[in-house]
Amino acid sequence: MRKSKSLSALIFLAIGLFLLGLSNFVDELRVYQGAQIAVYVIAISSIILLTGYSGQISLGHGALMAIGGYAAVLSYTYWHVPFLIAFTIGALAAALGGFILGMAAARLSGPYLAGTTLALAVGLPSLANQFHILGGEQGLSFDIGEAPKWIANKTGGDFTQYKWFFWVSVVCALATIWFIKNLLQSRFGRTWRAVRGNPSAAALSGINIGRSKVLAFTVSSALAGLAGALLAMLLGLVAPMAFTLTLSFTIVTGAVLAGVTNLAGSIVGAVVLVVIPEFTDAVATHLGGSEKISANLPGLITSVLLILTVIFAPNGPKLHKRKKANN
Amino acid sequence: MLVHRSTKRGAFTVAIAAVAALAVSALPAQAFSPRSETGVTSTTIKLGITVPLTGAAAPGYNKVPYGMKAYFDYVNDNGGVNGRKIQLVIKDDAYSPILAKSVTNDLILKDKVFALVGTLGTANNEATTKFVNDKGVPRLFVNTGFSGFANVKKYPTTYALFPSYFMEAKAIGGYLADKLPGKKVALLYQDDDFGIDALSGFAQVGTSFAVKIPYASGSQADPTVVGKWITSIVASGADTVVVFGVTSASAAALGGAYKAGLAGKLQWILGSVGADPTTIKAVAPTAMPLLNGAIAASFLPSPSDSADEYVKQFQEINAQYNKGATFDNNVLVGMNAGMLAVQALRAAGATPTRAKLMAALNSQGSTFASAGFAPLGWSKTSHAGYNGYWFGRLAADGSQTPVDGAGKYVLYTTDSSKGAVVKSTITRPAMPAKGLPTN
Repeated sequence: MRKSKSLSALIFLAIGLFLLGLSNFVDELRVYQGAQIAVYVIAISSIILLTGYSGQISLGHGALMAIGGYAAVLSYTYWHVPFLIAFTIGALAAALGGFILGMAAARLSGPYLAGTTLALAVGLPSLANQFHILGGEQGLSFDIGEAPKWIANKTGGDFTQYKWFFWVSVVCALATIWFIKNLLQSRFGRTWRAVRGNPSAAALSGINIGRSKVLAFTVSSALAGLAGALLAMLLGLVAPMAFTLTLSFTIVTGAVLAGVTNLAGSIVGAVVLVVIPEFTDAVATHLGGSEKISANLPGLITSVLLILTVIFAPNGPKLHKRKKANN
Repeated sequence: MLVHRSTKRGAFTVAIAAVAALAVSALPAQAFSPRSETGVTSTTIKLGITVPLTGAAAPGYNKVPYGMKAYFDYVNDNGGVNGRKIQLVIKDDAYSPILAKSVTNDLILKDKVFALVGTLGTANNEATTKFVNDKGVPRLFVNTGFSGFANVKKYPTTYALFPSYFMEAKAIGGYLADKLPGKKVALLYQDDDFGIDALSGFAQVGTSFAVKIPYASGSQADPTVVGKWITSIVASGADTVVVFGVTSASAAALGGAYKAGLAGKLQWILGSVGADPTTIKAVAPTAMPLLNGAIAASFLPSPSDSADEYVKQFQEINAQYNKGATFDNNVLVGMNAGMLAVQALRAAGATPTRAKLMAALNSQGSTFASAGFAPLGWSKTSHAGYNGYWFGRLAADGSQTPVDGAGKYVLYTTDSSKGAVVKSTITRPAMPAKGLPTN
């Protein structure tokens, strides 16, 4: 066990270094998209943890991302904490929100839970319009600054701010996957799977189902909060429009595309989400460059993919294939 | 478990392959990119604009980019700029700063535009400022009157065109004191930098209001919100209402007042941003009777004034290159910015660079021909555009006539600080022959 752990740590480190190195060789647009992918990876894996492993559904993770984003920006702006601390505060704030929501969630299941979280996704971001400190529709700006000199100098060349965002997001994403991967192999992970598999059996074997569910919700929310804070960093501001219902649905879609019980699949889901608009842009340009087509096509394609996935590969493309082969 | 593991590995491989593919697809573009300035080839110049094409603020504003494009197409058909055709990439930001940021990202990184032109909205331009500054992309003639954008230190590549909201508020304040003394005035304003800029202007000239009603951008689409505005206006006992918001908000306010039976009971004064009659007609047709007699501040000629040489020429171009679009203030704004952009590009020389473009604007910009009545103020030390307004009365059909009578444009000029409001006459460069600049 220990041996495989250090091996996988090495693999993670290698992936990280490869990605960071890659950022020197690609165009700034790709660097930015890479950072977007990393943020989606975190958001999607928070859903995978919640839905795939603890069996709870949330359509409101956009709201938890909003809590994380706003908390990070507010603490960065008013308390002048370093940005990594601000991200931590964002994650903790979202965890707190998730804990409270999780208490309610533990009593609900299926469509009721989906409905409750959905309501949150609809309502919460617009709170920003009610309180002046949250900046209204215009939002609050968030600038974590440039990369520290010792990093920028080492890599040489033009170390743009987007590259710095990419580095930060990639490190956070890898750390997140590492954390979840280990968590799922721990007692908590086994407990969650037991509860998801058969709640009655789990309860009979002494698992406190409610507590287990609330814990999963809290951890998942913390990750969503981190993703929200990173999203705010990428956008350079937080505003209600950053955390729309579409975002909540998008990350759920990403999780489903990935195979909702497949943590590594979060990367596939994230890449797909970022590549689709890229692809539709190309198609729209080909068709005559209508802005209306390229603005709406990604939504259509994502929805179609979601439906196809649910019909043909409800457990995600890869897992499904493997199961068939085993039959 | 075993199944699970190999699944994971498979997914990782796929993901990494995908990332690598995405990355590699960018390589050739970088490796073989020509030496010339971003967005400029030997035959084309690429410009970008962000505007709301969808959402609550879209009506009206969605015509601006197509007016601009029509003008560029006209210029392209007449030889372009130094042999280069202008391509305009239009992006929808739904009037959301967040979307503005993301589409501006695309314009600069993906479409690789030479410059931005006419990007719309105060908050939206604010949201993209950091990135635009970092990349040194010229941002010409922002479609907003936020006074801050004239600040060269904070926005080194940004050029304001519209007189600032600060100036406008001062001019409206001056007009109220001059022509409507002793009235009880209510103020409806958009609660962001746009409206707040105006509040400072009103404070500067000492205008007092019976009630000040802020509204969140976008909330004008909600009838209950509009109902509350009307209730507050009535409760304040105001007989005059100043609207400092976007046109969809003026339309909502006029429509709401009409529904509440206030037709003929209030004198409306609309800021230049929110006074486009065609948009009001489209959004709230029932409000048109209320519009009759409303006073609006403008810096461009009335779009219905065909006697004006600029309007006449632009109307002809519109009929030919922007088929099906009614010529209104939005089209005029788009074409006017387009015409200034063409002059700026010409002034940047045969091999334009971003630096040359901005240097040309700083040194020659104030002499450019444009439809605006007030002089342009661009220089090395300030990027302020026009500095004044005239006031006109709107008729039920949406046409606007100067308050002192047809053709009698009286300009109220001022600045974005403590300067007084001055009444002045108009001096404007003549329209270049056929609307094609030769500078």
